[in-house]
Amino acid sequence: MGLYARRCRGASFLLYNNYPLKFSHRKAGTFCYSLGNSKTVIESVEEEVVPSSDVEEVLRKYKHGHVYKEGGGGLKYVIYKLKNLSLIKYIINWGRLCSMWPVHLTTACCSVEFAALSGPRYDPERFGWLTAVGSLRQSDILLIEGTVTAKMAQRVRLIYDQMPEPKWVIAMGACAISGGLYAKDSYNVIQGIDDIIPVDVYIPGCPPRPETLFQGILLLRDKIMNEVIK
Amino acid sequence: MSLSDVGEILARLIEDLKKKFGDKILEVNVEPKKITKVLVAPECIKEVAEYLKSEWALDYIKGVTGIDLSRLPNMAQEVLEVIYHVGSLSSEALKAVTLSLSTKISISDPVMPSLTSVWKGAEMHEREVYEMLGVNFKGHPDLRRLLLPEFWSDKPPLRKDYVAPGRER
Repeated sequence: MGLYARRCRGASFLLYNNYPLKFSHRKAGTFCYSLGNSKTVIESVEEEVVPSSDVEEVLRKYKHGHVYKEGGGGLKYVIYKLKNLSLIKYIINWGRLCSMWPVHLTTACCSVEFAALSGPRYDPERFGWLTAVGSLRQSDILLIEGTVTAKMAQRVRLIYDQMPEPKWVIAMGACAISGGLYAKDSYNVIQGIDDIIPVDVYIPGCPPRPETLFQGILLLRDKIMNEVIK
Repeated sequence: MSLSDVGEILARLIEDLKKKFGDKILEVNVEPKKITKVLVAPECIKEVAEYLKSEWALDYIKGVTGIDLSRLPNMAQEVLEVIYHVGSLSSEALKAVTLSLSTKISISDPVMPSLTSVWKGAEMHEREVYEMLGVNFKGHPDLRRLLLPEFWSDKPPLRKDYVAPGRER
């Protein structure tokens, strides 16, 4: 039996970049009418299957920091190494974490807490978290604010696909993490958005307080700081 | 208007209904502090609705709901119950009254006449009952799904034999 790349928890982020998720146009299409329910929406997000015999090998092959060493070679490898010299890497990552543009996408009630966070009382701009904008092509961060229904899931996926690399995803609230109130029994709520897009930081709460959201932002800053430049 | 006044009016209404329709009224459920329910057969629900609107000025539809009774503990029946909650806007005396007009249809062949011709406001409500419980309303002008995703091709989700997909781990 095959093992999905996204199910390899330890290396999920790197594997995502090498085996991108994509909507299967053969089976469903983005706005096709042949799907059944929310489960089929999730199934329509097709992923490359890693055979279980190759999982160890894939993990070894695409280890952190060795992504381009195998396939690229030559000049590409030199540039890759150059970019990851500690000082240059630090400067690039510092630039990234000090200008985080979130997408303004509201799916549910957690957006109220997000609005509270953006205000002057908490002032996230001192940590590089800028105003939420509507232009996806200029955004780095997708913050999923709450419940995602099967209808919305397709739009979320479209938005994620339109954002340029590098991009990060935050799942905010119990519903975005696991379905929350709608876990198990719901007919059209996606049971955790990591079924459709890769998630970097989970922020629990129903809804999380702005302080918790702040902690999530700081976690994401840590993650960006230690990232390998591709 | 006090509670007893409303009860009095409803009692008169039900008496009148019983006199007019006789054994077509299958069941009347009157309890204080609860909504009074009148159960009729699906064949004559339109007749009763028209009578209620013309004679009793119950011209406002508050909601249409459906229940799947097939998994009730102790008293399971293979039926769907469709309930119309009606009130009045034009009559001063009936302002606080809510009457439930309900009917039971079999779960294997859920067809009943639409009441959109009586109460125009029932159109959207009936569309919702259609998508959630799969009840086919005969004579509805525009019977399409309302809220479910456009790609839905599963069972109606509020039927008791519908199994939520959940999440596989």
